[in-house]
Amino acid sequence: MWRLPRSPLFIFAEYLLASLVIGLTTGALYVLGNWLDVQIVTVVYLLPVMIGTLLWGLGPGIFTAILAFLAFNYFFIPPQGTLLVYRPQDLLVLLIFLFVAVVLSQLLARTRTALAAAQAREHEAIHLYELSAALAGQADDRSIARTLAQYTLDAFQADRVEVTIEAYADHDAAGVVLPPDQAPASARSPLAIVPLLTARGLLGEIHLWADRAGLAPAEDRQLKIIANQGALALERSHLARSENRAKVAEESDRMKTVLLSSVSHELRTPLAAIKAAVTGLRGGTVDRNSAARDELLATIDEETDQLNTLVGNLLDMSRIEAGALKPERRWNDVEEIIGAALARLKQAVGTHRVQVIAPDDLPLAPVDFVQLQQVFTNLISNSLKYSPPGTTIRIEARPRDRNTLLVRVINQGPPVPEEHLERIFDKFYRVTASDRITGAGLGLSICKGIVEAHGGRIWAENLPDGLAFNFTLPLQSKDLPPLKAIEQE
Amino acid sequence: MSQPTRILVIDDEPQILRALKTILTERHFNVTTASRGEEGLTLAAANPPDVIILDLTLPDMDGFQVCARLREWTPVPIIVLSVRDHERDKVLALDKGADDYLTKPFGIEELLARIRVALRHAAQMQAQSKSTIIHAGPLEINLAEHMVKRQGEEIKLTATEFKLLAYLAAQANRVLTHQAILSHVWGPADADHVEYLRVYMRQLRKKLEADPDQPQFLVTEPGVGYRFLADE
Repeated sequence: MWRLPRSPLFIFAEYLLASLVIGLTTGALYVLGNWLDVQIVTVVYLLPVMIGTLLWGLGPGIFTAILAFLAFNYFFIPPQGTLLVYRPQDLLVLLIFLFVAVVLSQLLARTRTALAAAQAREHEAIHLYELSAALAGQADDRSIARTLAQYTLDAFQADRVEVTIEAYADHDAAGVVLPPDQAPASARSPLAIVPLLTARGLLGEIHLWADRAGLAPAEDRQLKIIANQGALALERSHLARSENRAKVAEESDRMKTVLLSSVSHELRTPLAAIKAAVTGLRGGTVDRNSAARDELLATIDEETDQLNTLVGNLLDMSRIEAGALKPERRWNDVEEIIGAALARLKQAVGTHRVQVIAPDDLPLAPVDFVQLQQVFTNLISNSLKYSPPGTTIRIEARPRDRNTLLVRVINQGPPVPEEHLERIFDKFYRVTASDRITGAGLGLSICKGIVEAHGGRIWAENLPDGLAFNFTLPLQSKDLPPLKAIEQE
Repeated sequence: MSQPTRILVIDDEPQILRALKTILTERHFNVTTASRGEEGLTLAAANPPDVIILDLTLPDMDGFQVCARLREWTPVPIIVLSVRDHERDKVLALDKGADDYLTKPFGIEELLARIRVALRHAAQMQAQSKSTIIHAGPLEINLAEHMVKRQGEEIKLTATEFKLLAYLAAQANRVLTHQAILSHVWGPADADHVEYLRVYMRQLRKKLEADPDQPQFLVTEPGVGYRFLADE
C-alpha cells in the first residue's frame, strides 16, 4: 500500500491529483461523449472516485466523488453547461458516488488495521525468535537474566526492567537491572511483574516499569511468553549443570579405576623382578660367585629404587590433587638445583651426555629447592627414557625478562605428535604403548603441578631434532623479602 | 683387639630391626634394639652405646623428643633413619641434636658410611684433636695456614669464601644446615639469608670443582644444607 506522507503539502498534492484524474476522465468522456450513453458515463465516473479513494483515502475520495458529480452534472446532464439539476434521480448519482467513496475507504481502513496487526504479530514473533536464539547459547543464570532484561526493555520501550533469579543448588541468586545506571528500586511500583515458572516452581521474576497506564492484552501475552522462554532457558541451564556434575563424578570414578590398574601394574612389575631375583638367589639355582648373582642383586637394587620413586610420585600427585603442595620459597640457584637433580640421576644418565647452559649471572629464583629438583629429575629422566643412548640432553636456564626465568630441558628423542603435546602433562597419559616404557605416567603431571604451584607455566615443543620441555618461573615473590645485594670482596 | 662398637637401634618396625641387627652384627657391631622411645632411653642410660640409630615415628613419643632427651646428658652420635623425607623434619632433627639423617629406603653402605663419619667426629670431639689438613680428591685444605691447594697449586679465596669452606671442611662428611652455616660464617643476624650461601657456594664451586654443575666435594643436601665430602 502506497500512501504519501501526511504533510500539508502532500495532502494538497493529493487533492490536486484527485482533481487532475477527474479532469482527465471528464476530458476523455467529453471527446467520446457523442457515442456514449449517459448511464455509461455515470459508471465511468465511478473509476476516478474509486482510484481517488483507494490511493488517497476518505478525504480525497469524497472530494473526488463531489468533483465527479459536478463534472458529470456540468458536462453530461441536461441542461449541459450548467450545474442545475432537474431530475432528482441525477442527485442519486452524487449519493452513489459518495457511498462508493465512504464504503471503499472503510474497507481499506479495515484492511490496513488487519495488516498492521499482522505486521505487529510478525514483529513479535521475530522478537521472540531472537530472544529464544539469544537464550539458547546462555549457560549461566546471570547472562540469562541479562538477556531477558534487555529483550523486555527493548520490546516494551520500558523505563526500567529488573530480572531476579532465585538461588538454586550451588548457584547464588542473581539479579540484573537495566538500564544499569538507573537508581535502584524506584518509588513507583512496577507496571507488571511476571514469574519465571517451571514445573520445579518459581525460578525468578521479571519486573517492568513503564510510563503508561497498563499493558495491552497483546503486550501482556508477549511479556508472559518472554517469561516463559526465560524459565525454559533457566531450566535448561540447571539441567546442563547437574548433568555436568554427574559427568565429572563419572570421570573421577573412571580415573580411580585407571589409577588402581596402572598403580597395581607398576607396583607389581618391580615386585615381580625382586621376587624372582631373591628366590633365584635363595634357591641355590644361581652360583654364589657367578656374574648372574651380581646381575640379580643389581636388579633388586634398581627395582627397589623404582618402587620407591613410584611411591614418591603417588604421594606428590595426591598432594598436588589435594592442593597441599605449597612451595616453600627460598632464594635458590637454579643451576645448583639442576646439579642436585643430576647427582640423583647419576646412574640413570648412562651413556647420555648432559649439558647445562646458564649465564654466569643467572639470578637467584624464589623457589622450593626440593620441588624444583623433583621437576628437573622428572624432566631429565623422561628425556633419558625417550631419547636414544649416546644423544645429548641440554638443560638451559636464562632470564626471559626481569620477572621471568625460562628453563628448557631439550632431548634428541623422537618428536611427539602435535595433538599429544598438550596432553602429555595429563595424569597417566602416555604417547607410546605402555609395555615399552615403565612409569605410571605421573612424572610430567607432577612437573606441571609443581611449576603451576610456583606461578609458572610448562609446555612441550617439538624441535627440528628433538623435543623440548619448557617452563617458566617467576623471579619475584611477594612471600620473600627482596634479594639483598651481596657485597663482593 | 678393641671392644666392638656398640650400636643402639630404636625403631618400631620389626622388619627394620631384624634387617639391621642381622647386617650390623655380620659387620661386627654389637647391636641392641628397642622398639619404643622410653625403652631406648633406658637402654642408652644403662649401657651407653657408641652410636644411636633412631626412627622418628615411635609408638610412645616422637624421635625429636628422644633426640632432645638424649642431648640433655650425652653427646653420643645420633643418626636419624626415617621414612619422613620432608626437609622440615630433617632440619628439625638436626636442630634437636641429631648428627645425620638418612631416609628409608636406604642403602646399607650409605648407613655404614654415615656411622663411620659420626664415630670419627665423636672421637675428634673427645680427643680435642682436629686434623688441620683435610684432603678431598685433588684438594688440600690447610685450616691452620688458611691455604687451599688443588693438585698442589694454591687457589686464592676471599676471606668469606675461606671461612665458609673451612667450616664445612672441619666437619667433613657431616651434613650442616643452612642456618648453622649462615650463623657461623655471617653471624646469627644473617641466619635466614640463604641467598648469601647460594651465591658464595656458587663461587666456591667455580674455584674448586672440576664441574661446578655436578660438584664432587661441595655437595647440596636438598632443602637442608650442605655437606663437604672429604677423603675418609
